[in-house]
Amino acid sequence: MLIADEFFLIAHNDIRGKAKLHPAATGLGLASGLLGELILYGHITVTNGQVHVIDRRPPGDALAHTVLDQLVGEAQHQAVRTWLSFLAQTSATSVGERLARAGVLRRQETRRLLRTSVSYVPIDPNVAAWPATRLRAVLERVDPPSVPDALLLGLVAAAGLTREVLWSAGPRAHHRLNLIIPALPAPLKELVAHTEAAVGAAVLRGIP
Amino acid sequence: MSSTVTTERPSNVSEALARGRLGVPSVVFFVLSAAAPLTVVAGVVTTGYGVIGVLGIPLAFLAVAAVLALFSAGYVAMARRMANAGAFYAYVSRGLGRPAGVGTAWVALLAYNALQVGLYGTIGAAATPVLDRLFGIAPQWWVVALVAWALVGVLGLLRVDINGMVLAGLLCAEIAIIVVFDLGQLSNPAAGGASFAAFSPDNFFVPGVGAVLVLAILGFVGFEASVVFSEESKDPKRTVPMATYLSVAIIAVIYALSSWSMTVAVGPDRIVEEAGTQSVELIFNLAGAHLGDTVLTIGQALFLTSVLAAMISFHNTTARYAFALGRERVLPAVFGRTSPTTGAPRAASLAQSALGLAVILLYAVNGWDPVLQLFFWLGTSGGFGVLLLIATTAVAIIVYFARSGEQETLWRRLIAPGIAAVALIAIIVLAVQNFANLLGVAPDSPLRWLFPAAYPVAAALGALWGLVLRRSRPDTYARIGLGAESAAAVVVPPATEPVPPTAGARR
Repeated sequence: MLIADEFFLIAHNDIRGKAKLHPAATGLGLASGLLGELILYGHITVTNGQVHVIDRRPPGDALAHTVLDQLVGEAQHQAVRTWLSFLAQTSATSVGERLARAGVLRRQETRRLLRTSVSYVPIDPNVAAWPATRLRAVLERVDPPSVPDALLLGLVAAAGLTREVLWSAGPRAHHRLNLIIPALPAPLKELVAHTEAAVGAAVLRGIP
Repeated sequence: MSSTVTTERPSNVSEALARGRLGVPSVVFFVLSAAAPLTVVAGVVTTGYGVIGVLGIPLAFLAVAAVLALFSAGYVAMARRMANAGAFYAYVSRGLGRPAGVGTAWVALLAYNALQVGLYGTIGAAATPVLDRLFGIAPQWWVVALVAWALVGVLGLLRVDINGMVLAGLLCAEIAIIVVFDLGQLSNPAAGGASFAAFSPDNFFVPGVGAVLVLAILGFVGFEASVVFSEESKDPKRTVPMATYLSVAIIAVIYALSSWSMTVAVGPDRIVEEAGTQSVELIFNLAGAHLGDTVLTIGQALFLTSVLAAMISFHNTTARYAFALGRERVLPAVFGRTSPTTGAPRAASLAQSALGLAVILLYAVNGWDPVLQLFFWLGTSGGFGVLLLIATTAVAIIVYFARSGEQETLWRRLIAPGIAAVALIAIIVLAVQNFANLLGVAPDSPLRWLFPAAYPVAAALGALWGLVLRRSRPDTYARIGLGAESAAAVVVPPATEPVPPTAGARR
């Protein structure tokens, strides 16, 4: 499963799809996940706070393709923080739709007080619960996690969800998490750091 | 995909990011609602006349506005270049070094906490007439304070920054009622007709001028928040400076007018005595006599909401200060964590609430006077702390521009902050001399030294902690002053340096 998809599932309740994370952090975490996917597939890289496109060939996934197109089409914007803010505006919807297309979630419209709100409900709770379960298992193991898992752990920590994922884990898991993030490849480490900074800045601004 | 031609076509990214940007009015509204004008006019000004006994309060508001406008010229110029623009200690860290920055942060925590907690002292007085009208009950002040405390604590945890529209509506109503009160007072002058004595320099340059100036600073606290929106604003180079100057000007006019009109209605010779006996009720008694019961009721209700809004606003400011310091790891990292579902800085908010509860209980158990000894003493002491912060920041701005060589006009980088710094330091000297007047205690009371001395002690301890961090935790030391941005700053070091071997050795 793709990074942003797994982040989406971790950030929402696995049975009814209710948000476990406030919207600003969810949007930024998912935006970061989308950029992370492109980094993992070698399409872009991040250095000194700037996003650089290194491979313009279209990625297989439609959403990744769209994001890469945007990055290529607006080359005047390179700052990671600009792209995080921009993608964060739509990431909850776009990733939710991607999971709906994949048959993991079901789009559900609820009408309340003249306002229609869209939520995404897991079709199979076991599938929805799997990413968090896997991350917990990863942290229990001694051998280092794969790079995508390490990135996902980094995003979970940056968005402030560590306690939600590790609620049952012991201090060793927390300790291991603190070692995994600094060991990420440089572009991913930077991406995680900028995500954490952006989430913190959103809290300081006080505007949800 | 192959559209490699990037000519002058509209940018989706710029457009999408510009959509939520704030203009001058939004920022002004935000700043003014944090300043809570009716709390200042009805609470601070009346108590100030009574306690300090100096007639020159209106002139003090104008003088302080001029100084703050000068200060703002350099402040907004530096804010554009800052990562953590909302906090004074960030400027001091950049300008005067990180140990000085931590010292400033400690002072700021003390000052903003004093301002927030002090408000619990006046909520009883604000709620009494409203509760009497609605339910015919008159509970003890601390019962009301505890209810308000619970409300503030819960809202802080839920991160309900009261809806902007509600705040804006309340603010407009507050300003409208203040103007109505002022007109009532001005059209009913005391015997001898309208007097401009309150604007006379003879009534300003008297013993106690320092105390009055601190009181005026207290009225302006909140103006510094405009720069938080540097990145949120439509045009950072124009929106934030405009909003800052406009806020200072609006506050100055409202406060100077209201404090003057009170002297007109009561009479310049009797205002000190009347304010001393009637305290917070003075302005409402006047309104009741001039304008009748309906306006009075509206005014009392708005005073209550104004104090509540100010409490919530200062609670959030204080919690965010602690949050920023927690993100830097200058305070324990737990202060930098948020509640996942609400995004509220949970530990920071709880700590602030715990302090508030402790102070309310302390005052309730000892039977100390809530309005004078809690609201006025802590409020003015907090105002004095903010005065110290602004003065230190003014110096830091000058040093920052001198050192960094950033392109900026001479006025903004040296002259304006220079004049402001000299004026602010003069106010500090006067204030320390007049601290007994400010508190309304005997000149030889130990309290007149206890309150102002808390700040240098906090600053020294903070600076010491900064030096400890430099030796023991250099990576934390490097983050000082960066607030939430510190997370990114550590990964991307400004200069290329060899990777320390610790990361590899630990595995």
